[in-house]
Amino acid sequence: MSILINKNTKVLVQGITGNEGEKATRAMLEYGTNVVGGVRPGKGGEEVLGKPVFNTVAEAVKKFPDITTTTIYVPPFATKAAIMEAVEADIPQINTIVERIPIRDTAYCLAAAQEKNIQIIGPSSLGLIAPGIGRIGVVGGPKEQADEIFTPGSIGIISRSGGMTNEVSWQVRKAGLGQSTAVHVGGDLLMGTTYVDLLKLFEKDEQTEAVIIFGEHGGSYEFEIVDLIKNKQYSKPLAIYIGGKFASTLPEGMNIGHAGAIVERGKGALEKSEALNKVGVMIADRYEDLVELINPFA
Amino acid sequence: MNLYEFEGRELLEKHGIIIPVGEVVRRGDNIADAYRKLGLEEVVVKAQVLSGKRGKNNGIKFCKNIEEVKKAVKEIFEMSIRGQYVASILITEKINIASENYLSITYDTNRKQPVLIFSEDGGVDIEDVVEDKIVKILLDIRKNKLPENISLPQDILVVAENLWQCFLAEDTRLVEINPLVKTTDGKIIALDAKIALDDDAFYRHCIEAQDRAKEKGLDSETITDWAKFETRTMLGRPATEREIAVQEIDKGEKYYQGTAGKYIELDGDIALILNGGGASIANMDALIKVGLKPANYTEYSGNPPREKVYALAKIVLSKSGIKGLWMCGVVANFTNVEETFKGIVDALDKIKPAFPIVVRRAGPHDKEGMKLLADCAKRNNLNIKIFGKEISMSETAQVLADLINKN
Repeated sequence: MSILINKNTKVLVQGITGNEGEKATRAMLEYGTNVVGGVRPGKGGEEVLGKPVFNTVAEAVKKFPDITTTTIYVPPFATKAAIMEAVEADIPQINTIVERIPIRDTAYCLAAAQEKNIQIIGPSSLGLIAPGIGRIGVVGGPKEQADEIFTPGSIGIISRSGGMTNEVSWQVRKAGLGQSTAVHVGGDLLMGTTYVDLLKLFEKDEQTEAVIIFGEHGGSYEFEIVDLIKNKQYSKPLAIYIGGKFASTLPEGMNIGHAGAIVERGKGALEKSEALNKVGVMIADRYEDLVELINPFA
Repeated sequence: MNLYEFEGRELLEKHGIIIPVGEVVRRGDNIADAYRKLGLEEVVVKAQVLSGKRGKNNGIKFCKNIEEVKKAVKEIFEMSIRGQYVASILITEKINIASENYLSITYDTNRKQPVLIFSEDGGVDIEDVVEDKIVKILLDIRKNKLPENISLPQDILVVAENLWQCFLAEDTRLVEINPLVKTTDGKIIALDAKIALDDDAFYRHCIEAQDRAKEKGLDSETITDWAKFETRTMLGRPATEREIAVQEIDKGEKYYQGTAGKYIELDGDIALILNGGGASIANMDALIKVGLKPANYTEYSGNPPREKVYALAKIVLSKSGIKGLWMCGVVANFTNVEETFKGIVDALDKIKPAFPIVVRRAGPHDKEGMKLLADCAKRNNLNIKIFGKEISMSETAQVLADLINKN
């Protein structure tokens, strides 16, 4: 089995008439994901790639009451309203690709979603892919490329970086292994779905034998993994690479890389690696080494 | 963007928090005029830096007359404080302090919501205060008022409420007052201001936002135009011309269509054009590991148009003393490699660098992109090696190192 997506997943695309929205719709359909339709205020009744466009999320849900997931492809200044529409319509899972959402808007949406037990993946998340099952968003790129990189297997992948979700998955594939699910959690300061949320799911997932994480300096989400392992809520082999060693030479408070990657004393790549190493997590010096570390457990 | 104290305290004052009277001076300003304008004898002369323990590093001086002020200003402009460049100096009235408190609001990333932090032990780093002397109150971002019945002293509560308004209305990631002092005559005054703005909310704090407010009949003067804040960097020097120029690239209506406005100038001699926030950071580590030194940190991400990439590449390549160029990116998910490489090719056609270039990239339309690059190399006789995903990113750092060592 995969995590976060299965054969019954039904996807809505908010912002389906835009360039990126249409591209994502095509990417999902090509990969066998069931996209039921999209939303664009004022364009209800039109079609994109043969899928119906609705004016509102509520209209879409009325027509397709079993939508499991919505994906957000709107400009950053319209994102809060789009996510809140989905929250109000009780769609259980929301993937937000949008980058550069003000943190106040993100916090607002996360608070509203949490109250209703709605899962937000992102912001700034390209989505996720479960090889052979489907994908939410554009992870993997064009079908031909996605098929080269992804094949069903036993490795779970979590990445703060969209590009590295692909790159790490490619290293896994080159080593003759496959992936159970690869998730891009996004690089923002606030993460809707965190490493530990996903590790708990991978722990329960029978297909997943081991997990790889591409982490970053800044923030404290990696430290949550330490507690998770100490509390015995995660027990499978785990290898992690934490980027940004050079950033420790930069002044505190400086932001380099993703929005969440702020230089903070005590929260750098080295400190995180050391804390994780103490609870048995395998630490990769270069991201290419992740695969070698995890290979014996695949 | 992190604000200087003199900027941050204006935002506090805007939200009803009392600050000492003060004057800002820059290099070359007439200090005597500023001192006279204040009309006070005893003043505090404070270095304006973006972070750092100013007090412990002689960045704050108490003065009783103009001669002392002039001397203090001169000394402070000559220092760097924990590597931070002193951009300007704030001269303020000296406050008679009865007690010092700490008050801040920021995001608790684990709880994913704002948290108010208060301590009666102010004036020192909050990290140095014992845990049981710190009050932490989680806040609901959806509410404009602080929760009722929170355990803060009444006079602090008034300031906390104002600070919450400031945190929300100004789209900050951090507002910190340390110390928040009680004066001997019973007033509560913010003696410092540390504010980090959320750059992604800039569109709510600009002239266009003021115009939108006016159209709706709202008070546009309550909107601070962030564009008026001077350019800054935390690297212990003024922002360079290139850094300032790159910041312009992502401005304008389509600011969210790909990112190509990131450039930090560094001391090394290897020009870098990297891709993606995560991979770029990892590749900085990889480059340093093979013994090369970056001339800059630069990335473009998402799906920027040709023009943005061209503007960025041109600036990266304009630095003197470059010995090599590394253009290294992941197997892209949705970046159009052909479109973005057109921007790179435009820059290479113009500059025709003689130093070695190593490229590693894959993703949508990569075959077309690689061909454009190969053709460009041919017509300009470039010393270039182009790789796809058959080789890992770190390995191509070694390829560049070998090429440079051969030269």
